[in-house]
Amino acid sequence: MSLRIGILSFANLHAYSYGMAVLSHPGAELVGMSDHDAYRRRQAAELFEIPTYATEEELIEQGLDGAIVASETVLHRSQIEQLAAGGVKAIFCEKPLATSVADAKAITDCCRKAGVKLATAFPCRYSPVFRQALKSIRDGKIGSIRAICATNRTMYPPGWYADPRWSGGGAVMDQTSHVADLNWLLLGGEAVDVYAEIGSVLHRSRSEDAGLLTIGYKNDVFSTLDTSWSRPTSYPTWGDVTLQIVGVSGVVNISLFAQNLVHYSNAGANWQSWGSSLDRYMIEDFLRTVAGEESELLATGLDGLRGVKLLEAAYKSATTGHPVSI
Amino acid sequence: MTYRVAVVGAGNLGQIHVRNWMKLQDVVVVGVAANSTPEAEGLTRTAGCPAFGAAEFDEMLATTKPDIVDICVPTLLHRSYVERAAAQKMAIFLETPLARTAADCQAIVDAVDKSGVKCMAGGAGRFSPEFRNAADEVFVGGVGNPGVVRVSRMTGPRTNSPGNWLMDQAQSGGVVLDFMVRDFEWLLHTFGPATRIYAKGTRGPASGLVDYALATIRFATGAIAHITGSWAHTAETVQTTLEIAGDRGLIEYDSARYKPFTISTGVDAGSVSGLQESPLNDQDDPCFLQLQAFVRCLSENSPIPVTLAEAQEATLMALAALESIETGRVVTLQ
Repeated sequence: MSLRIGILSFANLHAYSYGMAVLSHPGAELVGMSDHDAYRRRQAAELFEIPTYATEEELIEQGLDGAIVASETVLHRSQIEQLAAGGVKAIFCEKPLATSVADAKAITDCCRKAGVKLATAFPCRYSPVFRQALKSIRDGKIGSIRAICATNRTMYPPGWYADPRWSGGGAVMDQTSHVADLNWLLLGGEAVDVYAEIGSVLHRSRSEDAGLLTIGYKNDVFSTLDTSWSRPTSYPTWGDVTLQIVGVSGVVNISLFAQNLVHYSNAGANWQSWGSSLDRYMIEDFLRTVAGEESELLATGLDGLRGVKLLEAAYKSATTGHPVSI
Repeated sequence: MTYRVAVVGAGNLGQIHVRNWMKLQDVVVVGVAANSTPEAEGLTRTAGCPAFGAAEFDEMLATTKPDIVDICVPTLLHRSYVERAAAQKMAIFLETPLARTAADCQAIVDAVDKSGVKCMAGGAGRFSPEFRNAADEVFVGGVGNPGVVRVSRMTGPRTNSPGNWLMDQAQSGGVVLDFMVRDFEWLLHTFGPATRIYAKGTRGPASGLVDYALATIRFATGAIAHITGSWAHTAETVQTTLEIAGDRGLIEYDSARYKPFTISTGVDAGSVSGLQESPLNDQDDPCFLQLQAFVRCLSENSPIPVTLAEAQEATLMALAALESIETGRVVTLQ
C-alpha cells in the first residue's frame, strides 16, 4: 500500500526537492499540494502533474498519511493544527518551526495531544560530511569540544523570506536553526545564553540581512554563528554551512557543501554540487516514520522548538544589546 | 642622512627586525641589547654591531647615540624601555600591543607626547599586502558600504619565546592581546571607530592560556565584524582568512585555499617550519615596509602611518575583548 503524502505550499523552495523525493519513492504517492498563491499552484501542477488546491482543507480531505509543510513560516502553526485536527498522523515541517516560542510550543503541544509524529526539516543532519565529523569527535580524535565557529551564509533570498510579515524576521530567523541543531548534536546540551549583533546593512531589506550570534553552552563552551545574507548574486554558489570545531587536542573543520565542480562559462562561475542529496535522504527517513518505523536521525518537533527558543532570544539580545539567557 | 638604529630584544621579533633594518639603505644597526643567548650573539655578529646585555640598555643609548630605538621586548617590558628612550629624545619604533594594561598604554603615550619624539607602532595588519589591498578596495568603494566583516588568524601554540612568556596569560594576554590585536588595528583603520565588543575565549588545558577566542564588534557605521584568533591549531603554518561583504560586493581571501607554494618531503611536516609559504620580494615584505615607512617619515618629516594613538586604540580593544571574556558582558568602546 502506497503512503499518501500531501505538500502544504511550495513557498519554501525546498518543497521542490521534497516533491521529487516523494515522487521518486516507490512506496509513496504525491496526492497533491495546496497553496494560497495561484502562481505556485500552476508551477507545481506543471512540474509534478498533481492536483492543486487553494486551501489546506481540500488537500486534507483527499486523505493523507503524511504531510509536508513548506509554507511561509507564519502559517506553520495554523496549518499544522488543521492537519492534526484532520487526522493526519505524520507531519514534516520546514524550519524554523515557528516565528515565536509560543507558536512553536503550541505546535508541539497540539501534535503531542493528537498523537501526531512531528518532524522538523534539519537536512544538515543527513550530511555525510557532518556525520564524519560527529564520528571523529565521538571517537575522541580532538578531545572534548571547547568552541565552535560556524557560518551559514547565503545569498539574499527571493520573495517572502526577507519580509517579516511572512517569515517573522530576516537572516537570523532564516539561518539560525540549522547550525543550532548541529551544535546540539555535537555538544548534547541546550544553549545557555546568546548575544546577537544584527542589522540591515547589505540589502536595505525590511528585516535584518546580517547576523552574528555568540551562543553560550554549559561548561563555558561557546559557538559563534554568522547567519548573514552576504553572498552576492555573482557568487558561484548559494552559500555555505561551515563549522570550525575546536577540541582539547585538535581542530575539525567542515564545510557541508564543498563537494563541487567549478563550472566557468561566459556568464561567470558556478559550483556544481556532486555531494549527496540531503533532502532526499531526509524525506526517505520521514517516509519511513510515516510507515510506522522509528528514526534516530529525523529531527523532531522538540528539536525544532529548541531552534526557535534560540532565535527568539537572539532577537531579544539584539534589542537590548546584551546577552540573553535561554 | 644615515639613521642609526639600536634594537633592544633579540627574540623572534628582534631577529626579524634587525634583518630588515639591514636591508634598508641609509640605516645602520649600531647596537643590540639583549639577554646573552647564542641567538643574540649570532644576531650581533650578522649585524656587525656591538652587543649589549639587556641591563645595559641605557649604556647602549649613551655610547651608540642612535636616532631610532626599536623595542622588541616582551609586552610587559615595553613601558620601561619607551620611557627611557623617550627621555633620551630618540625616535621609537614599538610593537603592538603597546602594553599589557590600559594604564601602561597611557603611560607610554604620555611619555612619548611629553618628550615630543616621533614614534611609530609596528605589527600593523595594514602592511600585510592582502590586508592592505583589501582596505584600499574598501576605501575606493569596491564593496560599497561594508556590512559584515570576518577576519581570522590561526596557528599553533607559541612555544618558542624566551622563558615561554607568550604562553603565559599574565604576561602576553594570550591570543587576544598578542595575535588578534593586529586584526583589531586593521579593522579600526579600515572601518573606523567601533562602539562595542563581545568576546568569548577558551583556555588550553595544558597552557591555561586563552588560545582560542571569537569576538564580535559593532562599528559606528552600523557594520559588524567577527574575529577569530587561534593558537589552538598547528604550529607549522599561520592561516589567515578575510571577508568583507558590502552592499555592492564581497571580498574574500583564505591563505589555505590559495597557496602559491607547497613542499612535500615525505618526512614530518615539522621540517618545513620556517619556510615562507607566500613568498614576497624583500621590498614587499610587510616588516620591511613598515620600517621603511618609519624612516621615510623621519627623513621627510611626514605623518606617521601607524600612530601611537591608533595602536593604543587597537590595544584597548583587545583589552576590552579580554574583559568581555572575563565578565561575560558586552564592553562599550570609546
